[in-house]
Amino acid sequence: MITLRANMTHELDVRGLPPPEPFEHIMSALLTIPAGACLYVHIDREPYPLYEVLHNGEYAWQTTALADGSFSICISHGA
Amino acid sequence: MKIISLNTEQAPPISVPMRFFTVAPLFLLMAALMLVTGAGNPFDDMRSPALLAATHCITLGFMAMIMMGAMQQILPVVIGSPMPASRLTVWLTFLPLLSGALLLPAGFMLGKPALLNLAWPLLGLAFIAFISASLASLARSPAHNATKTAILLSILALSGAIVLGMLLAQGHASGSLLPYDKLATAHISLALGGWVMLLIVGVSYQVVPMFQLTPNYPKWLVKGLTPAIFIVLLLSMLSRLFEPGSHWLTITTQGLFWFLASSFALITLRLQSNRRRRVADATLSFFRLGMMALLCAGLFALATLVFPAIDSLGTVSALLFLLGFAMSLMHGMLYKIVPFLVWFHLFRGGVNSGVPNMKEIIPETWKWRHFWLHCSTLLAALLAPWWNAATWLVALGLLLQGMLLEYTLLIAISVYRRTLERIGGVSP
Repeated sequence: MITLRANMTHELDVRGLPPPEPFEHIMSALLTIPAGACLYVHIDREPYPLYEVLHNGEYAWQTTALADGSFSICISHGA
Repeated sequence: MKIISLNTEQAPPISVPMRFFTVAPLFLLMAALMLVTGAGNPFDDMRSPALLAATHCITLGFMAMIMMGAMQQILPVVIGSPMPASRLTVWLTFLPLLSGALLLPAGFMLGKPALLNLAWPLLGLAFIAFISASLASLARSPAHNATKTAILLSILALSGAIVLGMLLAQGHASGSLLPYDKLATAHISLALGGWVMLLIVGVSYQVVPMFQLTPNYPKWLVKGLTPAIFIVLLLSMLSRLFEPGSHWLTITTQGLFWFLASSFALITLRLQSNRRRRVADATLSFFRLGMMALLCAGLFALATLVFPAIDSLGTVSALLFLLGFAMSLMHGMLYKIVPFLVWFHLFRGGVNSGVPNMKEIIPETWKWRHFWLHCSTLLAALLAPWWNAATWLVALGLLLQGMLLEYTLLIAISVYRRTLERIGGVSP
């Protein structure tokens, strides 16, 4: 499910999965990424509830809306 | 591409929406009581006290209760902006709505002006608090999507429906001379064609592709449908204002409204036929039934324009819209939203192992039983204008649906509490 890029960026594509599977996959993936790495998530809708969990878990993230209507989110451990 | 601003404000505790959801089914029991205690066949006349009372039990006590509870949770999830002061907003909406939804039908049924005079200010308070909180949430939302537009338009339609509803209730109570037919038609159009329809369309843009794994709605539809419905409703209001001089405008706006509503139904059915996981699902069946009922409601509504002397055509159209379309979709959405809420709040509460699978929170068997019971109730309601005994079947169907829905919601709450107890969490 998670693919690793050469620059230590981990990719996770959760498009087409029903709730709560995207959320579960993202949370599991976050446990595996090392400090300093970025989990790059591709998702159908902007996951507002996830932000709250990321905020409480002291993760940093940046969301980008893509032209096809989906979103990409780069999540990393906060400072 | 653009960078989206971030919002980390918390969604309300699970007790907020569940409070609304667990009270709503009790109003189906009350609607059943109103129907069986009415004189003669309540379905003979759309303005009979029993049908008026039962309808308001369903529209205020059941539907508005669910929609107002769901909005507390939907706003943070789909537009990233919770209602401000959620606990205060809940008490300012829940208690007045609950008491107003009990008093208004009782006032209609018993013909007691004092009950109506108690009901309309309470309902006014509930809806003003809800509308203000929703507008504040929309104003603060970082999202720019069609669901946000649809919610805004539905709230505007609700505002008009509530003003007219209060005016009508106060007028009935005081015996004031008002153009009741025109006001009632405008009230119904804004409440059902505006608030209910626009909110369902806007939420469907998110819920149908997300939960039913369908392709997204076409961009042209998402962009234009809800503003078009809203404009048609406004034109329809104007045409009623200048009746009888603009009969053609009334026919045109009605035709346009049903064309837009039917387009939504047909496209939703087409998307559902292209879903990625072809597994039988009671929620999907509730949605499909709702869309087919919407199409039929449109056909009967247009038939009333051709045969205006046949009153029962209008009654059947209204029943198809209310019970067939709106109520089916509310049941379907509840059976997706409630398990998701239970799962999400357990997960958010720190339960990261042993959280039950979302599909196991409310057993599918109960959802199917509810679906078939709902189909039978709808069928009985469609026969009721011609068959007096069907009123009893409708009442029995509403009674059993209310009990069954309450039972399944209590199952979900029990799963939530048991899981929390097992891991030693605290219920919000």
